[in-house]
Amino acid sequence: MLLKVDGITRHFGGLVALQDVMLTAAEGEITGLIGPNGSGKTTLVNIISGFLKPTSGSVIFDGTPIEGLEPHRIAQRGLCRTFQITLNPQRMTVMENMLLGAPRQRGETILQAILHPGTVHREEAANLERAWDLLEMVKLAGHADEYAGSLSGGQKKLLALAQVLMAQPRLILLDEPVAGVNPRLIDDIVDVIKLLRQQGQSFLVIEHNMGVIRALCDTVCVLDMGRVLAEGPVEAVLAREDVLRAYIAAGGQLEDEPASQTDLSTG
Amino acid sequence: MLDFLIYLLTVVGIYGMVSLSLSFQFGRTGLVNFGQVAFFMVGAYFSSIATAILGLPVGLGFIIAIIAGGLLGALMALPIGDLRQDYWAIATLAAAELIRIVFLNVNLGSDYVGAAYGITNIPGPFREYFTTTTYGYFYLGLVAVCVVAAFLILSWVGRTPYGRLLKGIRESDEVARALGKDVRVARIHALSIGGAVAGAAGSLYAHFVGFIDPQFFMPIETFLIWAMIIMGGPGNPVGALVGTLVVQVIYNSTRFIQFASEYASTMAALRMVLIGVLILLVILYLPQGLVPERRRRYGARPSGKGSANTGGGHAA
Amino acid sequence: MIQVIIDSLIRASELALIGVGLTMVYDILRFASFAHVQFGTIGAFVALSISLLLPVPPVLAIAVGAVAACAITGLLGILCDRLIFARLRDRAAAILMIASFGLGMVMQYGVQAIWGAGPRSFPLPLTRPWVFFDARLSPTGAAVIVVAVLIMLAFHLVLTRTHLGVAMRATADNQPLAESSGIFTERIIRIVWFIGAALGALGGIMLGLVAQLQANMGFEIMVAVFAAAILGGIGNVYGAVLGAAVVGFAENIGLVINWAPIANLLGLTSSSHVYIPVGFKMGIPFTILILILLFRPRGLLGRHA
Repeated sequence: MLLKVDGITRHFGGLVALQDVMLTAAEGEITGLIGPNGSGKTTLVNIISGFLKPTSGSVIFDGTPIEGLEPHRIAQRGLCRTFQITLNPQRMTVMENMLLGAPRQRGETILQAILHPGTVHREEAANLERAWDLLEMVKLAGHADEYAGSLSGGQKKLLALAQVLMAQPRLILLDEPVAGVNPRLIDDIVDVIKLLRQQGQSFLVIEHNMGVIRALCDTVCVLDMGRVLAEGPVEAVLAREDVLRAYIAAGGQLEDEPASQTDLSTG
Repeated sequence: MLDFLIYLLTVVGIYGMVSLSLSFQFGRTGLVNFGQVAFFMVGAYFSSIATAILGLPVGLGFIIAIIAGGLLGALMALPIGDLRQDYWAIATLAAAELIRIVFLNVNLGSDYVGAAYGITNIPGPFREYFTTTTYGYFYLGLVAVCVVAAFLILSWVGRTPYGRLLKGIRESDEVARALGKDVRVARIHALSIGGAVAGAAGSLYAHFVGFIDPQFFMPIETFLIWAMIIMGGPGNPVGALVGTLVVQVIYNSTRFIQFASEYASTMAALRMVLIGVLILLVILYLPQGLVPERRRRYGARPSGKGSANTGGGHAA
Repeated sequence: MIQVIIDSLIRASELALIGVGLTMVYDILRFASFAHVQFGTIGAFVALSISLLLPVPPVLAIAVGAVAACAITGLLGILCDRLIFARLRDRAAAILMIASFGLGMVMQYGVQAIWGAGPRSFPLPLTRPWVFFDARLSPTGAAVIVVAVLIMLAFHLVLTRTHLGVAMRATADNQPLAESSGIFTERIIRIVWFIGAALGALGGIMLGLVAQLQANMGFEIMVAVFAAAILGGIGNVYGAVLGAAVVGFAENIGLVINWAPIANLLGLTSSSHVYIPVGFKMGIPFTILILILLFRPRGLLGRHA
């Protein structure tokens, strides 16, 4: 198991956001994390990626416990995440965003940049190559010099994915990768993720869009009110009555969601 | 008249260096520092103490000032990790004032040195080789060299991957963290660099004017520096210098007009009001300042390369 | 000791009035306004001018002037929001801070341009302070404390017992939610600016009554006000009052305490009398602020971590 979440509990004052959550994600697979609004998915993702400390419980990544570590340390170990609201620096260009993602850059420490200009130069060139490859894969190569802020919602999500790929993570936590994306682009995003998975990339995907979950995930875990309701192969879990009931109780829907959020920008 | 102009240009140059330092620091990290004058002051004082009181050569004083400014920058940066930005802004203001109060109350050596009396007889470098008039030209040249050096150094830093990292942190520190970047260390370095440049400016100032006291380092100076970088456009060294020029022109414009003494203080106050209003107008209508940030362009991919192989490996 | 308490209460009153306004603005708009203390400066000077114009006995003139100045400054607060801060609602907190810093300077130097840089005083008649138990309390000082307490009580009642108070707290908690519940949040925001600025003006007037008026009086007190608000927990008006009390007390008692035991323990000196030099009095609130920010930024009653 690449990722093992064991007994994670998180309190906020008197509120129990997560209670005894157990979750596993296998290498080379796409694991889904679903649940109605308010079920604690975001809190769990924040705890796994280090942006929040759990009240109790452990998170084991690749055999070592990572709960409570700083986010950047966790990322350096190979667990990276994207954000629900695309945060990738809007006032930097697409290419700058990509280069930012490259890991272990000598040039990012000022002293090293001064002392080893040759190495820095070589690293930049290599990173640039890789960035072009990834940009072509997500079809953003033609937008390299545009500000990230001027991309459409779907393109921003693709950029976030490509950016996190630069860091060569073992496991990518995708936080709602198609939320607010134009339906045409949703297919593109799904295709990219499928392609990456074929190449051996592992994912943990949080999503509301059941069509996407069905298309991508091998196994899925359902959260409801801070507890794990069900875990297992996708079709089996989604057919369960208690899962259906949890969604209806929370006012959600389990069918493929139509594009309820239109994307207001181009693309 | 010419002498005064030389003097003015020298002071503008020194201010320009402090502007460059704040522009680098705010522009690159996005952290609001209301205590910039503290670096300037620490540089000036340490350099003066080293030379006027301890008798060390001016060059050494200059270096000490740079180190002192850098260390203070690192010190101020330490609490940032856990502190919200607005709290940090207030803390920098408080720290700068605290430092000023300390220098105001501490006697350095004998009775009339330090505290409110300040430090006098600060030696100018190479003073004995020049006459009074030509020394003015020399010092202007010296300051000009320093400003250019600071400009080049800070511009270069901005173009390194480190500079890009800072920009990324400024725009979205969560994404930077999620990509494995040590945000804290990067910020500490940025503040040290800014502090070091401002400290150098402080040293230049002290040796130019020959005496300093805490009155020169009031928060109004920080306000003026902010005015300069907001007008010119934060984050960009050219903008910092342009802004310095604009603000200094306004600030000194009324000096050349003679007013009856009872209007002098009103004019002085109105100058500041004008500068403040301009800052607000720039913030409201020209958020990028007069000189907007330039983006690094990468063009299109060089032809002959490219494949869809993107997994853990590299391009064919 | 009683003198210390009296001085502390007076100081706390000034800080509390300005601090409550500051913390309210923070609660609703989520940024620290570096211009807020200038409402105190403006309020004091406007009150001064009005009171000098009125052909009535000085105490009455000052009272009328104070009320008028608070109202005027309150309106000024709304104006500042409309002209500047409302237009920056979607910008980063950094920009708001810088804008407020700029606005503060405009206000301070505006005051200086109009009233000059030199110190001024309210036209108070000379009175003998009351003396009891070794301590002096001037009628002015007593009035300051009484007014502050009354106003704080009134404010508390407004916050808890009126529709307006509930609406204010709802808007501060969760603006979108408040809006969808039918509260006109923009209007609430305007009211908050009015009250905040008016309270700030009152604080400045109190400061001017007890000490002197100077164009930089707002700036001088700024860090102390921030220290009070943050110590109490920014965003919490009761915290601001509590913080004001602590800072006011610390300022006054800090000079009186003999720090020898601690100094000896730290090996700094072996003398038996160690006092903080008077020149450092201003440094006390600064030090408190830095200490709080280092060790407990949330403050005592803080809502915003």
